[in-house]
Amino acid sequence: MDKKTVTTISYLSRLKIDDEKEEKIIEDLDNIIKFVDQLNIIDTSDVAPLTNPLEKTAKTRKDIVTAKNLKKDLLEVAPSSNDDYFLVPRVVE
Amino acid sequence: MSWETVIGLEIHVQLSTKSKLFSGGSTEFGAEANTHVDLIDMGLPGVLPVANKEAFYKAIRFGLATGAKINQTSSFDRKNYFYPDLPKGYQITQMTKPIVEKGSIKIYLDGSEKVINITRAHLEEDAGKSIHDLFDGETGVDLNRAGTPLLEIVSEPEISNAKEAVAYFKAIRQLVTFLDICDGNMAEGSMRCDVNVSIKKNDSSELGTRAELKNINSFKFIEKAINFEIDRQTKLLENGESVVQETRLYDSEKNETRSMRSKEEANDYRYFPCPDLLPVVISDKELIEIKENLPELPEEKEKRYVEDIGLDKSEAVIISSSKAMANMFEEASAKTNDAKLVAKWLVGDVSALLNKDNIEIDESKLSAENFGKLIERITDNTISGKIAKSVLEDIWENGSDVDKVIETKGLVQIQDESILEDIAQKVIQSNPDQVSAYLNGKDKLFGFFVGQVMKETQGKANPKSVNDILRRLLK
Repeated sequence: MDKKTVTTISYLSRLKIDDEKEEKIIEDLDNIIKFVDQLNIIDTSDVAPLTNPLEKTAKTRKDIVTAKNLKKDLLEVAPSSNDDYFLVPRVVE
Repeated sequence: MSWETVIGLEIHVQLSTKSKLFSGGSTEFGAEANTHVDLIDMGLPGVLPVANKEAFYKAIRFGLATGAKINQTSSFDRKNYFYPDLPKGYQITQMTKPIVEKGSIKIYLDGSEKVINITRAHLEEDAGKSIHDLFDGETGVDLNRAGTPLLEIVSEPEISNAKEAVAYFKAIRQLVTFLDICDGNMAEGSMRCDVNVSIKKNDSSELGTRAELKNINSFKFIEKAINFEIDRQTKLLENGESVVQETRLYDSEKNETRSMRSKEEANDYRYFPCPDLLPVVISDKELIEIKENLPELPEEKEKRYVEDIGLDKSEAVIISSSKAMANMFEEASAKTNDAKLVAKWLVGDVSALLNKDNIEIDESKLSAENFGKLIERITDNTISGKIAKSVLEDIWENGSDVDKVIETKGLVQIQDESILEDIAQKVIQSNPDQVSAYLNGKDKLFGFFVGQVMKETQGKANPKSVNDILRRLLK
């Protein structure tokens, strides 16, 4: 774990890390990874990958529309909106 | 130096379910902004997605129709990135265990056949829509589309040029519409495609660096974007430069592709299994039921049209090319006892009108019932083929009923032989020179007399009767 990796991860997660905390975070992440790394001691070559710890399968839905029109409520709780749309700072490709 | 192009397509097909992939929100197109948004589509805290079984069934139909492997247990992963029209900050998709793997589809180009292998087809949710040009300095977000089920169909890099890419896209569109899993509506974005293009030296076994062209939604633009990209990459390599692996946007107005630099740094999606969703299992019974209910596919239709109905191969190809065309043929044929004549008119006059108006048959005013009736009126001798053409044009323009057009315009064929005989006599009397020339061996003039009688009757005479009468009178 180095400064560059932490910078990349924090950018990808849109998390701002204060400069003075950066070293501590690098150290913490390093320790976490070392801790989890212990799992590699065990040979899991004939164990199928686990997709969910519940080891159950999903209940599914029938294809039916159940949602109500929540437009007004949803737009109201957004940080910025007009009568029809959520508004965000302009993003253009 | 000669170069070889290698193309792979990722086609996003919107599955025509009523509700979304993980919520009970409606998938209806064109609704007022943000009226079809469920709490789950919003990604609000405390909600849990529940998978829509119908989306799986539709994906499996595609898998079965392409001879693919169906993974009866499939699971979901999160693809993480930030964009305003992706409320949760991740897209739920199938990375590790897609529902469909290893299929193939045949494409036909310039009379030859090629098989394109399909790597995988997986379920995922669509994003919302960003509207950039309505608001000053801000982007509007409409989340109606967020959560709509998509089947992403990934081809092997086995496509060699722009024309093949278009043929492949068309073949997929034809198949998904026949399977009734997608409406195939390109204008509404029901099918969109990303194209991976790279070029390599002819003798090289290694692939070149690829560029990904994003979100192209018409046949024309697929072809143009690929050709632009091949040209751009060839020039780079010939100048000793190299191609950068990147995402590029096709600008249809300028006919060019350009780099989307903003996406570059974010191109690390950190996939991991979605902890909100358990694996979905499809039982053997469900699989058998889907298999048994698969509709007749284009290739099977084509074969049946030739072998059972006796159409020409070329007619069968055109009629089975789209579901709407095949439906028109089958429904109109059911109204008459002359399916071959239906096919002849469909491929001939009706196709000509479609080309003229540049529309698909289901966008026209012609109904199968009306079209079938038109053919029936030819076979029961109510009108001649020539008159039928003008009736077709009328019902094409106005959608009016065949029988009403025939009645109001007085187009019923003259059946009464004595009336036709009188007219034929008049024609013979008023053209003595032609008569003597004909009788002296100028056989070709026979057509002239037929033409004159048809002219007198405004095309309403039965051509066969006219022929018989004239042959008798001109002995």
